[in-house]
Parts: sequence; structure tokens; C-alpha cells
Amino acid sequence: MTGLPDTPSAAGSGRKAREVRKPGRLQRITEHLRREWQIYAMLLPTVLWMVIFLYKPMYGLQIAFKDYSVFRGIANSPWIGLEHFETLFNNDQFLRALKNTIIMSAYGLLFGFPVPILLALMFNEVLSQTFKKSAQTIVYLPHFISSVIIAGIVMTAFSPSAGIVNTALGWFGLEPVYFLTKPEWFRPIFIGTGIWQEAGFQSIVYLAAIAGVSPTLYESAVVDGASRWQMMWKITIPSILPTIIIMLIIRIGNILEISFEMVILLYQPATYETADVVNTFIYRQGLQGGQYDFAAAAGLFNAVVAFVLVMTANTISKRYSRTSLW
Amino acid sequence: MAGFAKTGGDMSGVNLQGLVKAYGAVQVVHGIDLDVQEKEFVVLVGPSGCGKSTTLRMIAGLEEISDGDLTIDGRHVNRVAPKDRDVAMVFQNYALYPHLNVAENIAFGLRIRKTPKDDIAQQVQEVGGILGLTDYLERRPADLSGGQRQRVAMGRAIVRRPKVFLFDEPLSNLDAKLRTQMRAEIKRLHKRLGVTSIYVTHDQVEAMTLADRIVVMHDGRIEQIGTPMELFLNPANTFVAGFLGAPPMNMITAQIVAGDQGPVAEFGGQRIVLQPLPSLQNAVGKTVTVGIRPEFAKAVDDSQPDRVSIEVDLIETLGSEALVHATLQGAPFVIRTDTVGQMEALGRIGGFTVDAHLVKVFDGETGLALPGQVLNQ
Repeated sequence: MTGLPDTPSAAGSGRKAREVRKPGRLQRITEHLRREWQIYAMLLPTVLWMVIFLYKPMYGLQIAFKDYSVFRGIANSPWIGLEHFETLFNNDQFLRALKNTIIMSAYGLLFGFPVPILLALMFNEVLSQTFKKSAQTIVYLPHFISSVIIAGIVMTAFSPSAGIVNTALGWFGLEPVYFLTKPEWFRPIFIGTGIWQEAGFQSIVYLAAIAGVSPTLYESAVVDGASRWQMMWKITIPSILPTIIIMLIIRIGNILEISFEMVILLYQPATYETADVVNTFIYRQGLQGGQYDFAAAAGLFNAVVAFVLVMTANTISKRYSRTSLW
Repeated sequence: MAGFAKTGGDMSGVNLQGLVKAYGAVQVVHGIDLDVQEKEFVVLVGPSGCGKSTTLRMIAGLEEISDGDLTIDGRHVNRVAPKDRDVAMVFQNYALYPHLNVAENIAFGLRIRKTPKDDIAQQVQEVGGILGLTDYLERRPADLSGGQRQRVAMGRAIVRRPKVFLFDEPLSNLDAKLRTQMRAEIKRLHKRLGVTSIYVTHDQVEAMTLADRIVVMHDGRIEQIGTPMELFLNPANTFVAGFLGAPPMNMITAQIVAGDQGPVAEFGGQRIVLQPLPSLQNAVGKTVTVGIRPEFAKAVDDSQPDRVSIEVDLIETLGSEALVHATLQGAPFVIRTDTVGQMEALGRIGGFTVDAHLVKVFDGETGLALPGQVLNQ
């Protein structure tokens, strides 16, 4: 033996020496945390919020598969498999609520989704800064008003006796309509209210995306002879398309999440036929009827559908537009 | 279609008369006069903030003209929309539409102008061929290199066959090697198409290599207009002398005294013989700035009797030549010298000599070149 590096003992010690020099995974993570602790400290409240309010309650999801009793507790309640789901899909009220949810979401998507985009495009074209800021303030404002007050305004506006809508109908010699008691009027009123309340605020996302478009693209188009209309169609909209797609994916994920408070505030038994949605059904069954396990099954169904929808939308978007949430 | 080799016939010049740009009370371009001839390649060069890009943008119609007159092809265009000026512009950051592929980007201007589809396809193919982009027509800008993107940007300008090309620092986002390559391509393209071109850059090498004429700008004013060699050999003032040339002209503050055979620049006990020109003889007793190009100073050793002594700090070898960095009167002084067969001599440099006719003398107060000092190319 000459002690050359290719002898087994020397090679072994060489490897060992290299291993000693290279910090381990745990050591690297610790070092990283020590160096960047401020960033993680800022992240902590959000993580805690998610753990406490989103992950911890998941433990309770199991009652969807149990004959839950408040007195026996979650752990001691007996398993009953998919019985609640069978009941759910044989329940006419649930099927009606599901149908209403899908219809209202589809209408909301169809009419509500393009409005913030149109608003952002219009704001972008406004040249007077004073007018632009005033208009933005007016359309953002409803977002900051409580749903209860918004519902109050809507009820007052559509009131058959003193509401502005019926007053206006009166000017044309039309009879007052009891809008909020008629099932056929619930969906338009609900969707219109949602657009009025949120479209302005949602347009901020698109305005931010528009602000990110390089001004030289427009300058180049101006030199090429494009009109403002052509620039909007050929530059602005394609440039903010990735943002539109991302927002659409998120919206599709929330398709069964109809604004629960607003439905509760605006609907009444007379309009259940078109107004009752999955979330209000869960609320009535779970909190008002005390059927927590049955409501949990409905809620779980809601979550699974949302998960499948968002995964599908993301995959399709990734394949065809190179844009995706992850 | 006539094809892109020399669009000929309807090409034209650009004339700027007293062109002013003001933002409120702040004036950034102070009355520029410039006449760009048909088919000429004019480069506006100057440091950042000198108003060169603003001037170009006024020509393009992207900035409103505050005062003065702009004519393109003899037509007054101050109030004419950019699209009707018949100019095409190439931007610093390429301004390519990320959602369109190369062919669609090139075709954009034609589609806007509602050119028939068949013509668009033919012209895109032709431009793609000229710029070596035929294999990339289906790619999006994100999938191209910097040089390819710049070619697409040029293709978009070329395809419209405008009267005037405007280039706004088109190469500044490229690395040094690619910049040199693209510089040559732009020059070749100009020769091939023969379209009047106005090119903005802060890079004096680009200006020197590309321009038929260079316009040196400073603080919103034109300092000098001329061919690259005119400006290099006969700068009108110390600013132009210092801006053009790499390394820039060496400047020495000196006093003109009367010598045996004519005027002499004297500084710190050393002397440089000047040309016996009337303007220099009349300046005897005045403080002047003496300018010597690094290329014109001849490095010598200590044995040379009529040398100007310098203290050598550093020698940068560049291959066939070297830059001798020295100190003269506390200020830096650079000499460019050959290296082949002289490497040993470089170590013995103790001063320099310079021919009197290669020395430029500028007024010590105004910085203007004293009259009569014309160096022929």
C-alpha cells in the first residue's frame, strides 16, 4: 500500500471529507430560516389563520360519513359510509339547490365576469384624470358597503310601494311589480346586485394588468397606424389575457360558492324555487335543522366539485394558453 | 410587389427647423435645425438626457412639437398623426407583441392598414428572407434570442416600406458581440434598401460606424453636425472632442506663448509646438485647452529631447495595440500605440511627441476650437 488516493481506505476518507464539507439538508434549511426569518415571520399570521380556520376544521369533515351526535362527539359517532350522500342525491330540495347554484353561477359568469374587464378597459381609455378618479371611486364604493346594507338598498329600490324601479315603471303607466317575491325576478336581481357591488373592485386586478403592458407596444402600434379601438383589441386584451384566464380559473373553482349572505338576505320561501342554493340549503339543514352530518356531506360535495373544476380549468388553460395557477 | 431591394422613387428627406420641446416651463430641446437628405443615414448621438430621443419621438409624432417646423418629404407634418407621416420606428426594447408570432408581428402594420392577405404573406416571407428569419416565423418573441428579436423589430419596420426609418437605441439591450454583428447588419440593410434613416444612440462607436453624418447633441442643443471623420478630426468644441473617440481626446490646460518658429503651448514647464496659424498667433498670452487624440501622440522614451514628459501608470495591452495610461499635470493622459515588435519599448515610455498639425487648440473659456485648424481626412 502506497497511500494513493485510489486505495479503498483513502477513497473512503476522501468521500467522508467531502460529506463533512457539504452542509446537510436540515442544516441548509436551518441556515436559510436563520437568514430569512423576517420573511417567515411575516408569513406566520397567514399560515396560522389557514391552519386554525381551514385545516383544523377538516377534522370535522369525517362527520359526513358518520351518524353524528353532538353528545357522542365526532370520535365516538358511528361510521355509516355514504348514507348521507345517498340521502343528499335523493333529496329534491338539494337537487333544486344544486340546479339553482349552477344556473346562477353560469349567469354570474356569463354576465358578471366580463363587466370588470370592460370597466378596466373603459377606465384605461378615459383621458381626463379627474373624471377617471371620480368614476373609479363611485364604482369601487359598493364593495366597501356591508351586504346587509346593500340588500337593504336593493329591497328599497325594488319595493312595490316606494321603490325607484316601480316608481319609474309608474311613469310609463305600468303596474308595480313585486319583484322580490317573484321567483323569475330573483336571479336577475341577485346577479345585477353582485355586479353592482363587486365589478368595480374586481376591475382593479385588470387595471393593474393593463398598467403592466409596455407603453412602447402602444407607441409602436400608433406609428403603425392603429386606432385606439384596434389597440384595445390587438394589444390590451391579448396582453391581459393571462390575468383574465387566471381570474376565470379562480372563478370556476368558486362556481358553487354563490354569495351566501346575499341570498339569505334577499330570498324568501316564495322565491326558494329559483333562489335556494347549496350553501343556503346547508345553512338550513345544518344550523337551523341541526343535521350537521348531512350538511357536512353537502359541504364536502361542494368542495370536491370545486376542486375538480379548478383542476380541470387549470389543466385546460395550461395546455391551450400556457397560463395556469400552478 | 416591387420587392425590397431599393424601394426607390418615393423616398425623402426630413427637415427640422427650430424644433422645440417643452414640458410646461421646462424646455428640453432648444430649437434644433437639421436637414436629413434623402437616403442618408444620420445618427443623433449624445449623453443621456441630451434630447436626442425626444427629437426622434417628435419626428415620429409620439411627442407633440412645442415650436418649430418639421417636414418629411417636403410636407409640413407638425400636426399630422404618426400613422400618416409614413415613418417606421424601431424601439430600444423591440416592442414586439408577446402574444403574436414572428410572422404576425411583422405583419401587424400591414394588417392594421388592411393590406390583402396574400400580399401580407408574400411580404412577410420576403422580409423574413432578408433578415434571416424564415425558420423562426412561427415562433413567439419569448422563444427568440435578443438578436433575433431585434431583427423582427426591424422586419416590422421594413415591411411597411416607409419613407423614413427611425431607430431609438435599437442595440442597447444586446451584448457587445451581438451589437457589433447587428450594427453591420443595419448598415448592410441601409445600403440594400436605401431608406432615409435617423438613428439615436449614446454609443459613439455605433455613431462612428453607422452614420453618413453624425449629429452630436448636448443639453437639448446640437453641438456639431458632420461626417464621422470630420467630427473625429475637427471637433468644433471640447464637448465633441471629448465625446467622440475611444479613448476620448486628451485635454491639457496651457498658455500660448510666442516661440522661435510660431506659437507654443506651455504648461508646467513643458512645451508643445503649435501650427503657425493666425488664430493661434493672435491667442498668445491666452489660456487655452490643448487637445491631442490618443492615436496622434507618439510614445517615446526618455532619450527624446523634444518630448513632453509623462508618468506612466498602466499599460493595457489590447493585442496589436496598447493603451498607455499616464498622468500629465495631474490629469489622465492616454496614448494608443502599436505593440507588434515593440513590447519591450513599452516599458521604457517616458513621454510623447506630437505633430503640430495634429494638435487641436480650444478657447480656454468658451471651449470652441480656434479657427483655421482644419485637419484633412
